[in-house]
Amino acid sequence: MAIPLNHGDLLQGLAAKMQRDWDRRIAHDYRFWMSDGYESDQELWSSGERDFSILLEGVDNRHEKSFLELGCGVGRLLRPALRDFAKVIGVDVADEATKKARELLGANPKLEIVLGDGFSLRPVEDASIDVAVSFAALSSMPTDVIASYLLEIHRVLKPGGVLRIQAYVGDEQKVHQDDTLHLRCFRRENVSAALNFAGFTLDWIRELILPFEVSAKKAGIEAVIISLRKGDRTGAQITEIAHTLLPQGEVRGERTLPTADLECWMAISYGYELLKKGEIERAKLALQHARTVQDEASAEIQDYLRDLETKLDDGNVSEGLPVSGDSLGQSDIIVANRNILRQRFPEAARVLSEDGAVAEVRHTEDGPVVWIDGLCLDHPTRPRDAARVWVERTLRDARVTGASKLVVFGLSAAYHLEELIRRDSRPVVVIEPDLRVARAALASRNLTALLERVSQFLVGTTLDLDSLGEGAELLVRPQAQMLHPEACAAVKSSFYGARGLAVLKPKFAVLGPLQGGTQPMTTYTARALMALEQRVRPVDMSGFGPTYHLINDTLKCDLRRSTMIGNYIELLSQLVLESLQEKPIDILICMAQAPITGRVLTELRRQGVITVLWFVEDYLRFGYWQQVAQYYDFVFTIQRGPCLDTIRKAGAGAVHYLPTACDPELHSPVALSAEERERWGSKVSFVGAGYHNRQQLFASLCELPFKIWGTEWPTCRPFDRLVQEGGRRLSPDEYVKIFSASDINLNLHSSTERDGVDPTGDFVNPRTFELAACEAFQLTDHRALLPESFDIPREMITFESRADLKEKIAWFLERPEERREIARASRMRALRDHTYTHRLKEMLRVIYSVKYDHLKNRQEESPWAGLLRRSKRHEELHGRCQRAFDRGEEPKLDALVSDIITGNGDLSETEQKLLFLHHIKSQIVRMRREESGTK
Amino acid sequence: MKKRYPHKDKVLLVNITRLGDMLQATPTIRGMKMENPQCHVTVLVEKQFEDICFTIPDIDDVVALDLGMTVRSLAREQDGIIDAYEYIDEVVEDLRKRQFDYVLNMSSSAYTALLLRLIGVPRQGGWSSDSEGHRVIESEWARLFATSVFHQNRQFNSLNLVDIFRCSADVEVHPPSLVMKVSPENKEKMRRFIADQHFTNTGPLVAVQAGASQQKRQWAPDRFARFVQILTREHDARVIMTGSSKELSIIEPIVQACDADNVKIAAGKTSIPELGALISECNVMVTGDTGPMHVAVAAGTPVVSMFLASAFGFETGPYGEGHLVLQPVIGCGPCNPNKPCARPDCHDSIAPELLAKLTAMRCRGDVTELPPDFADPRQVLIYRSEFDRNGFLDLRVLNGGSLPPSRELLFRNAYRKMWLDDLGDLRDAPGAGMSNGSSAGPRGRSSLAVLDSAVSGIPEIVRAAEKGERLIRDLTELIKNTNAPAAALGRVSESLTELDREIEQLGYFIEPLAPLTRMFVFAKENLSGTDALDLASQMERVYGDLKRRSLKLEAYLGES
Repeated sequence: MAIPLNHGDLLQGLAAKMQRDWDRRIAHDYRFWMSDGYESDQELWSSGERDFSILLEGVDNRHEKSFLELGCGVGRLLRPALRDFAKVIGVDVADEATKKARELLGANPKLEIVLGDGFSLRPVEDASIDVAVSFAALSSMPTDVIASYLLEIHRVLKPGGVLRIQAYVGDEQKVHQDDTLHLRCFRRENVSAALNFAGFTLDWIRELILPFEVSAKKAGIEAVIISLRKGDRTGAQITEIAHTLLPQGEVRGERTLPTADLECWMAISYGYELLKKGEIERAKLALQHARTVQDEASAEIQDYLRDLETKLDDGNVSEGLPVSGDSLGQSDIIVANRNILRQRFPEAARVLSEDGAVAEVRHTEDGPVVWIDGLCLDHPTRPRDAARVWVERTLRDARVTGASKLVVFGLSAAYHLEELIRRDSRPVVVIEPDLRVARAALASRNLTALLERVSQFLVGTTLDLDSLGEGAELLVRPQAQMLHPEACAAVKSSFYGARGLAVLKPKFAVLGPLQGGTQPMTTYTARALMALEQRVRPVDMSGFGPTYHLINDTLKCDLRRSTMIGNYIELLSQLVLESLQEKPIDILICMAQAPITGRVLTELRRQGVITVLWFVEDYLRFGYWQQVAQYYDFVFTIQRGPCLDTIRKAGAGAVHYLPTACDPELHSPVALSAEERERWGSKVSFVGAGYHNRQQLFASLCELPFKIWGTEWPTCRPFDRLVQEGGRRLSPDEYVKIFSASDINLNLHSSTERDGVDPTGDFVNPRTFELAACEAFQLTDHRALLPESFDIPREMITFESRADLKEKIAWFLERPEERREIARASRMRALRDHTYTHRLKEMLRVIYSVKYDHLKNRQEESPWAGLLRRSKRHEELHGRCQRAFDRGEEPKLDALVSDIITGNGDLSETEQKLLFLHHIKSQIVRMRREESGTK
Repeated sequence: MKKRYPHKDKVLLVNITRLGDMLQATPTIRGMKMENPQCHVTVLVEKQFEDICFTIPDIDDVVALDLGMTVRSLAREQDGIIDAYEYIDEVVEDLRKRQFDYVLNMSSSAYTALLLRLIGVPRQGGWSSDSEGHRVIESEWARLFATSVFHQNRQFNSLNLVDIFRCSADVEVHPPSLVMKVSPENKEKMRRFIADQHFTNTGPLVAVQAGASQQKRQWAPDRFARFVQILTREHDARVIMTGSSKELSIIEPIVQACDADNVKIAAGKTSIPELGALISECNVMVTGDTGPMHVAVAAGTPVVSMFLASAFGFETGPYGEGHLVLQPVIGCGPCNPNKPCARPDCHDSIAPELLAKLTAMRCRGDVTELPPDFADPRQVLIYRSEFDRNGFLDLRVLNGGSLPPSRELLFRNAYRKMWLDDLGDLRDAPGAGMSNGSSAGPRGRSSLAVLDSAVSGIPEIVRAAEKGERLIRDLTELIKNTNAPAAALGRVSESLTELDREIEQLGYFIEPLAPLTRMFVFAKENLSGTDALDLASQMERVYGDLKRRSLKLEAYLGES
């Protein structure tokens, strides 16, 4: 976040805005804007008593203590404070507030009311206050102002003094920097950290419970009281505290939630309420107030204001009251819809409250319909009939019949949704990608009944559909799909991906290469799939690696060698096929260089197996994808940009970016003995093969205490001294020890062309993630895609040249604390975003979104389906079948009894019966074998 | 005779597999009825043998288990598993409802053992399962059954399995033969069948069962052909070839090589009850160790039987008086039933001429003696089946007079006496053996026994058993002493484990002692319960049994 150089100017500007806004509001109706009890002063005071007692709970010996309230308003809490405390100071930025407070509380020697500057507590003296409070005030102040006040409160509090504040914690709200009305809500941990930073010790945080709802937990907002004590100052500045409180900073420039909109709306609602009570004069005042801010309010609200004013002028008050159904007037519809929307779907309400275009509404005999870009989203003349037909047809669809929840893509004028909820009692989720359409629908039709009935109402294109869960079915309105094909595809992808993860249980095989660095990734991939509760079978081909080398070494002639290698790969490929015939699968994930030919991939695809290639290599350097891409339904690459298109053009079904990752099960910091540190450690280390660019660059580091581990390094000087243990191949366990034992781990992406850092390098190698997860400090060469994965330089330090590297080595060797901090941040990030489980989840999402129906049908027709369905009658047997299925076993008796045979302990009756069947089978097999062998 | 469960009212006999097994159970079934005419007997059989049960008298009820369908369902995998599971569910439920008070399972298969557990009948004979699914054998006789069929021990056993089976079910009174029903209708039908063959010979009617269940037990068709030729040409015999239609490939070449007028095929043309009726019309049946052999015995027709390869006459020979058994004398026989044989030399021990001569003799009447030099006892031993004074079948050799007794024979005889004495409280002659090993009678030893290393191994076993008893006493003291260090308990326990391993090894090193040690191992496998003192007392009994039996065996060997 950029902080203005002149921070004092910023604070003064914000304070002036606060003062203007609150002066205006209090001048209109101090009770309404200051209190939830606004019918009379009596209500104002009793609400003050209530809040005061909650806020000050547990504060003893009040009569000896001094009290200060920040944002005292008209003195709602000062009155009870005067009764309890020895000295009371009220501070407020609004002139109207302080004046009114003096008027309402009268002269009192114990009381001092201060018109503040809006960001400090001047002229209150240092260390003069025992108890400071702020209730319903901080949450409508800009974050920088809050930070400034916290430091000020710290200043005026006596050592050990108490601070009680009321605030909102939970999901951060996007509030404009100069907004003085919308609630600010901060993450709980950020609030704690910021208060700590400001020099306070946290006693407790408790939810604020009032007779009406103060928290909005559905929206992730909780109202709380925080109790603090003054501690030592930390030296933190306003900007740092504000940044801690709200790391992304507040919204500036373009307005997302205009204050005026809310203020105008609140005044209108108030006016409306007064109107209903027949308090015409007060209603007029409310509308006048609305008028004062209307210029900044949205067009819809202005329309409504005008409508209400007209009614007021006509004396036709009863017409202004909302009644049910279509008899509602235009503005009543807006209000009614908005009310329910705010109450049930605050996020949608928030998104729609922004200014924006509205789709065209045209009228038919059935009612209004929505038009956009020349396309009618409902039937242009008979929307109700068309909706009926659509719903009838949809509900007959087999996949809809079995669903437990219906997700409808496309709101339009909602006739189809009304028909749907009329005929069907299942939960309905509505998704409307186009805000213009949603605004038009909400402005033209009374959708209150619909909004009351649907379980979710999602608008816009950035939606998280993970929560839709099992059993849901997506119904796409063709018009909405035509209008927003990409949004529809994204929703489908997200929806089917998420649903696939919940519902599908295909069987995977992960086929690894014969040798090389990708080999361990096969294990990581399989392990991640298991962590995602998928059924997986790793196919380890490493045992065939030595024969491959033997063939390579035996033949000298290139042609003979490549022919033999080809034959060998063909043999292995057939072996894979045979093995997969014995234990069939649904999805085959091939790691780069897996020994499988197009012929076998074609055969597997013919059998309905989905083929996936995770091409974890530089597509420009290793071009064999050109021959194999066409045999894969999905190719995942570690590069973006032209790579995706190029591979797609080579015939691959779909191509997606999916970087490599770490496996925390292996890639974690390890505790090492002194001997181990001695063996594996060094000031500077590098693990990897001796590629050209590495040789070039590392030769120049020979002066350093530097160890190189790995194969293919020259044996000449200086490498004879640097390369460890004869340049042997290391196991992943050994890497991890080196990472943990070294002060600086170098990570230079390989290049056969460059002499050092490849300035065009884009993808991030697995080592980057592995080092990060090991909490090992690394210096890695700059890669174009690295900033997507790590925050540089907070989580990762990069170098761009030989000189840069040398300089950074020297710098960081001297700074162990800094290294530790970066390594820690790096690990946190790796665990949060870059594990194989994250990657595989993403991969499955992509596959499931495209192949959901295919896999679902395959699952339903699979041998397991019948077994699982029929076993339901026998609970224990069913559990056993389900476990065998989850383990990825074949639907055979052997799978059901394997653990009974190897296990100990008493057998249940079901186990006895299964074992009985197993013994029958074995005996018959044995008898047949004997007969055939001896006859 | 000592009995575990002398009185039974409602019995389930688990006898799943073969025709022969079913018929061999008949003395037991009939015996139960003889001892308690009210006893209700249900038999659980494999579906394809269900019909045989109707030819067996005294069976009150039959439950058929369709193994074929079960295995087909399982082979279908997928939800076939559920079909199989639900089928087994039904069978188990049906059997439970019948509320048996005793169940006898003499099939050693793991699944029948589990079935017993599932049915949950408290009184059991033979193989069952413990709560963890391991096989257990409660009855001593059933353990002897298991010990005797253990390949290494077979040569030392002369008790017919029918008798061991019977004793496992505590049946003492029994018929002196296998039994089956032969209905007058079938008898008449078979008489017509024989008449329709229009034999030109007028001599004895001989049934020949040429087929065998295993390749290595299959006497070659050309030998059979030679045998039949001699019978028809030299003895005026009429021959009927029995068997199933599957065996026609063996039978047809035999018939083709013979006098077509007097060799006729019944194979594949008769049901099991009809086969019984047919054989009952014959003078003699010539066969290997086959199901039809037991049919002949049950139908009352004398049998001349060849026990080739793994077949052993003492073990499964014709259960009845006066049948003849030919047992080749060969170092490798009786061989392991589970191993194929590429060169069955034992088949050469029996010449077609010898078999024909013996058959002709048996057709003329009971053969109680053979002329000297009738057959070389170094090649083949010819036995006559007869019952001993306790009603147990034995085989008396008819051609062995000129040979000194072999080591196997001496041990076989001694074991026979010892088991009857120890398990059945039955002694061959008054004063023979000992009622208790420790109060030994005269410990006379034959010269052979003194020389035999096997005999010298017995004291080793006795010493080991006594050591076991001592260790158990120590263990019991330690268990009772609550202050005893755990390490001491551990040491004793380790010593016991080591001792048991030594005892088992003695059986492997000294073959004739293996039946003793095998019985010991079975007994140990059957220790049950969780109370340490109770387990210790069970173990003490096991060592006591081993010691007593060893001493008895030694004494009986001395008598020989």
